Amino acid sequence: MRANVWSGRNTVQVENVPDPQILNDRDAIVKITSTAICGSDLHLYDGYIPAMKKGDILGHEFMGEIVEVGRGVSNLSVGDRVVVPFPIACGNCWACQHELYSVCENSNPNAGLAEKAFGHPTAGIFGYSHLTGGYAGGQAEYARVPYADVGPIKIEDDLTDEQVLFLSDIFPTGYFGADLCNIQGGEVVAVFGAGPVGQFAIASAVMMGAERVIAIDRLDYRLQMAVNRAGATDIINFDEDPDIVEQLKELSGGRGPDAVIDAVGMEATHGHGVVHTADRLKQATRSESDRGHALRDAILACRPGGVVSVMGVYGGLLDKFPSGAFMNKGLTLRSGQCPVQKYLRPLYDHIKNGDIDPSFVVTHRLPLGEAPNGFETFKHKQDECVKVVLKP
Amino acid sequence: MRFPRPIDATLHGATDYTVGAMLTTIFPKLAGIEGTESARQVRVVGAIHAGYSAMTDYPLGVVKAIPYRAHLVIDAVGAAAIAAMPFVTGQFRKGPRHWVPHVALATFELSSLAMSDPTGRGDYHGNVEAVRAANSETPARKIYDGRAVVAPAAT
Amino acid sequence: MATRKAVITVNRPREEVERLWREHDQGDGQAVSFRKAPGDRGTEIHLEIEQRGGKLGEAIGSVVGAAPLAKARDELRHFKQLVETGEIARSDGVPEGEQVQRKFKQRPAQPLPASERQEVGV
Repeated sequence: MRANVWSGRNTVQVENVPDPQILNDRDAIVKITSTAICGSDLHLYDGYIPAMKKGDILGHEFMGEIVEVGRGVSNLSVGDRVVVPFPIACGNCWACQHELYSVCENSNPNAGLAEKAFGHPTAGIFGYSHLTGGYAGGQAEYARVPYADVGPIKIEDDLTDEQVLFLSDIFPTGYFGADLCNIQGGEVVAVFGAGPVGQFAIASAVMMGAERVIAIDRLDYRLQMAVNRAGATDIINFDEDPDIVEQLKELSGGRGPDAVIDAVGMEATHGHGVVHTADRLKQATRSESDRGHALRDAILACRPGGVVSVMGVYGGLLDKFPSGAFMNKGLTLRSGQCPVQKYLRPLYDHIKNGDIDPSFVVTHRLPLGEAPNGFETFKHKQDECVKVVLKP
Repeated sequence: MRFPRPIDATLHGATDYTVGAMLTTIFPKLAGIEGTESARQVRVVGAIHAGYSAMTDYPLGVVKAIPYRAHLVIDAVGAAAIAAMPFVTGQFRKGPRHWVPHVALATFELSSLAMSDPTGRGDYHGNVEAVRAANSETPARKIYDGRAVVAPAAT
Repeated sequence: MATRKAVITVNRPREEVERLWREHDQGDGQAVSFRKAPGDRGTEIHLEIEQRGGKLGEAIGSVVGAAPLAKARDELRHFKQLVETGEIARSDGVPEGEQVQRKFKQRPAQPLPASERQEVGV
């Protein structure tokens, strides 16, 4: 089959690779009908995530039709249309039983490697380096899905692929980001990053009843999408005025936002001055893996006693964490890879009821063969790109 | 294992300016060659280096005139030139102080070049036309024309 | 000769874990003890590993892939996966499941061709 594989820094190629097969009784094989490029794939593309090997198939947002099931899977049959969540979770360990699917204790066969990096292994993830298990990803024609009785959700409606595809990753992740903020109704929420996850975080905060939702980015077209489609009430373009903390104070009556969501992660671009140059130099020599501008500003901007919810992917270590601001303002810092399996059913219901149409983020729909160009376009934000969907 | 070339264009630029500034100011005193023609040569080299760096098309350049790869070529040529200088002028016979700094600087320059990524990172090497032709969706329609996809929660 | 411990928690009651361990154990004479984990977390298994050769032996072992502590941890993980999920987690990078030798010699994360599948035994 054809698949999009990692071939070195800033290089992906579509190659012919063997078809996946059932290896365990609880596996299923999915014929992929739609898959997408995620912002976190760009960290792999840029070479910031270690333990990548040439030939690794990328992609962790995919859906399709079941073509084969292992003997241990009874809830799915051949021909079912499913969306596959990106964390691989066994459903039996203590973590899975407490709905902490993204830190499943059993699904990472490279637990020893992950332990060295993080202290403990976390769940396996499709197509996201050998630190998360070395599973083949979903930017391909077929994929092997482990623990298929726990993960995939069956779609039995007339919804299009693009309306449900994002249940695999970015819609639950954005929703999780807003969920961690404990929105009761009437809050001011700031979202750093108006990329696809940021758009869903904004939309989720609106759905949960936040009164003012502020989108922060440097690209005008993404801020426009946040306002026109996702329901943001205010925007901050930090290219025009780099002092984000001040602008957030103005927009919140001097108090600061009640909750701040970091949907940016380790490749933040909005640093300025000496700290930014220092960060870029360190990242270039790989002596610091993460650029923390968004996280720093989030901690400085959040109102005392508020919540900072971190969705952006970080990989290693970052310098200059504002520990004083964090501690003295009594902030709550919450984060995690989204336990997608926990949110699949409630969010699917939201889509079915018409509360949200997730397909609004798709700006580019390309054939799988154009994946390398798709990556470049998505990485450099060319052609007003927000989200790229690939069709195998 | 591919030879790592971790220095991207920004880091290379920062090094260029730092080294250029250092060479023109404090380096001769630190290297103990103050007052000799070596010091003059090193100062001139530093000034030229900082000068063409400011005119290079990379993130820290002021006037973006010289392409990044051409800058790397000039670096290499300059390194060879400064290494050769004491031997061409014959001053190396006056003692180690009159050629060691030159060779050391040239070695530093060449090793920094060996670790510099010639693509400089940030260069777009995709094909925008191919993407537009293959795209079966319209970005402008999704960004500017659609209605809001969520309704605020009922209070 | 220092003794180190490899520890894991299995989400099952203690009698069941002890019984399954006796059936599964290869019997290489490692001292094993069981303890109930707090709350609803299951049972802790503690394995005592003898390290030979001091620090140097440890370092060489970890490079060569024969380090007894890492091997013991792998074995505990395999046991936990079998007991809790019924199978050993396999990926395309490590089709045999967690293995110390594979730490530096992973396959690329793409499906195995038929010839390799036979070697791995699936």
